[in-house]
Amino acid sequence: MTNVIQVAILGLLLGGVYALMAAGLTLAFGVMRIVNLAHAAFIIASAYISFFAFEKLGIDPLLSVVFVMPIMFLFGVAVYQVLFRRIEGSKRFGEMTVLLTFGIAIMVEGLLGFAFTGIYRKAAPGYANESFIVDGLFLPQGDILFIPKGQFYASLLSIVLLVALWAFLRYSQTGYAIRATTQNRAAAEIVGVNVRRVSAISFGLSTALAGASGALMSYLFPFFPFRHWQWVAVLLALVVLGGMGSMKGAVIGALVLGVASSFVVDQIGPTWGPMTFYLALFLILLIRPQGLFGKEAPA
Amino acid sequence: MIEDRAAVGPEPSDPEPEQQEAQRPPGPARYRWYVLAAVVVALFALPLFRPMISSYNYVLTLGALILMWVAMSSSWNILGGFAGYISLGHSVFMGVGGYVAGVLLYYHGISPFLTAPLGGLAAVALGFLAGFITLRTRGPAFIISTIALLFMFLLMTDNFEYLGGAAGLPLPALPLSQEWLRVPFYYAMLLIALGAIWTAYRVAHSKFGMGLRAIAEDEVKAEVAGVPTRLYKISAFAISAFWVGVAGAIYGYSIAFVRPTVFFTIAISAQMVLMAIIGGKGTVAGPVVGAVLIYAINELSLVAFGATEFNIVIQGTMLVAVLLFFPLGIVGTLRKMNRLPAFLNWD
Repeated sequence: MTNVIQVAILGLLLGGVYALMAAGLTLAFGVMRIVNLAHAAFIIASAYISFFAFEKLGIDPLLSVVFVMPIMFLFGVAVYQVLFRRIEGSKRFGEMTVLLTFGIAIMVEGLLGFAFTGIYRKAAPGYANESFIVDGLFLPQGDILFIPKGQFYASLLSIVLLVALWAFLRYSQTGYAIRATTQNRAAAEIVGVNVRRVSAISFGLSTALAGASGALMSYLFPFFPFRHWQWVAVLLALVVLGGMGSMKGAVIGALVLGVASSFVVDQIGPTWGPMTFYLALFLILLIRPQGLFGKEAPA
Repeated sequence: MIEDRAAVGPEPSDPEPEQQEAQRPPGPARYRWYVLAAVVVALFALPLFRPMISSYNYVLTLGALILMWVAMSSSWNILGGFAGYISLGHSVFMGVGGYVAGVLLYYHGISPFLTAPLGGLAAVALGFLAGFITLRTRGPAFIISTIALLFMFLLMTDNFEYLGGAAGLPLPALPLSQEWLRVPFYYAMLLIALGAIWTAYRVAHSKFGMGLRAIAEDEVKAEVAGVPTRLYKISAFAISAFWVGVAGAIYGYSIAFVRPTVFFTIAISAQMVLMAIIGGKGTVAGPVVGAVLIYAINELSLVAFGATEFNIVIQGTMLVAVLLFFPLGIVGTLRKMNRLPAFLNWD
């Protein structure tokens, strides 16, 4: 019993981080119909910033969010203005974005490999290898639970950022415009929303979330440039599962699959963890192609 | 709607090339088949000029690889170009072909030159199965599911003892002296490339191919016009897997091992996509032109900069630049300008 709780806790903590990663991806799809295959490459690029900030300047990876996010926001806005503006309104826009971001991902991967080589990196702040130990409570006598501090802080930060994002989308003027654009781009434009500005900001927010995810990744998971393909496969599975463009779906999908994969790792073996995501993706495509919270078949 | 009905109408025989030839000056068009025949004869004769080629094995290895990429990007084009369903997981079929032939050689000693078609058929079977599930979606969700398929196979081959796990299976070399070792592989890849181009050509000039184009144009309209879209899409997926699987079988033998990271990597899919798009997706000649060009650029940048990550940057940049500025690719753009040399007009 204790073991089950332990595994579930680890899964939830993992899911919290996945949720942050997937949130940026689903935001870009929801607002602009951009399927960003470079999202994980952006995460890894941000992880390098946090990693070197920690190694060279001693800045805590969790704190580095403060500057990684603005940097990635500006980067995202620039990428949107330079690349995506050109293909706006092109036929088969969705596919174009996939191919374009595929190219961007390859570029980023190559540049990172060129600059930092392919060796594994992982920042090691003090809390990365420590755990909170819980005993007593409702647990059987003598049993204890471990809550890794690094994962715990990461999930906390992830929750804070997701709540902030939710509040921003819910209550701010810009957030209102973003939601309007998500629901109906043409109608939003008619009622006076500056759709281009909204799109640029949304893409910036999406990459800023990638930046925050990267800061967390820098000490949670070992990373190297080529790794981003594995990550993007997992994140996309999450997003499709939740229903493309649905923020709620992405977060719930991340939590559920985080727990599920952590049970798979516990029962079958660590190498099979990612399989959970791919199998879940195929299963959902068979049963409900539009995803859990998707409204229509994504076209 | 009327146009669409015409496009998938009961007269699939190719009226298009004749029409285009009629608009062209008759001279070059008439010589087109002579040019192509000369190229094919030259390719078949290449290994005979052994004394005249200084680095014989290098030339043949390079030739075999270019031909392999021609075959793979041409096959990818059947689904990605004609039907407009972009697969980023097509290297999965190369791996299936490679592993089927590799296992048969490793455990039963049967030469991949005999079992390569079996590898292709295994890829077709997987194409049907995967298509059945993944083609329930379209657009981005389909693309994503092809990536997931690829990573599933990477994970599985990585962890199955029978398939050698992450280290893969070492394959015995062909019992030939070093000087002649590359020749059979070269000819095998040449046949595979010709087969793949022939398949793409036949598909492009059939009712099936027109149906695929109608699907790429507007799937709902195609469905309304009577195209059995689901059957066509799944068939296109399966057909586009065949030559990739065959090529994988021969490739595994030529490098003397099969290993998950050799086949089941998105980098190989990326190459197929890049070649087809730069050459001109949806055209028969495009992937051939793209494969030769990209491979040449790769090889040159390897010589110039060494094996660095710089090659990857170049590839990504090319993909982005082509998408933004020449979305039709080389063949497509030239045709639009009416500058396409007749010997490259295979549609």
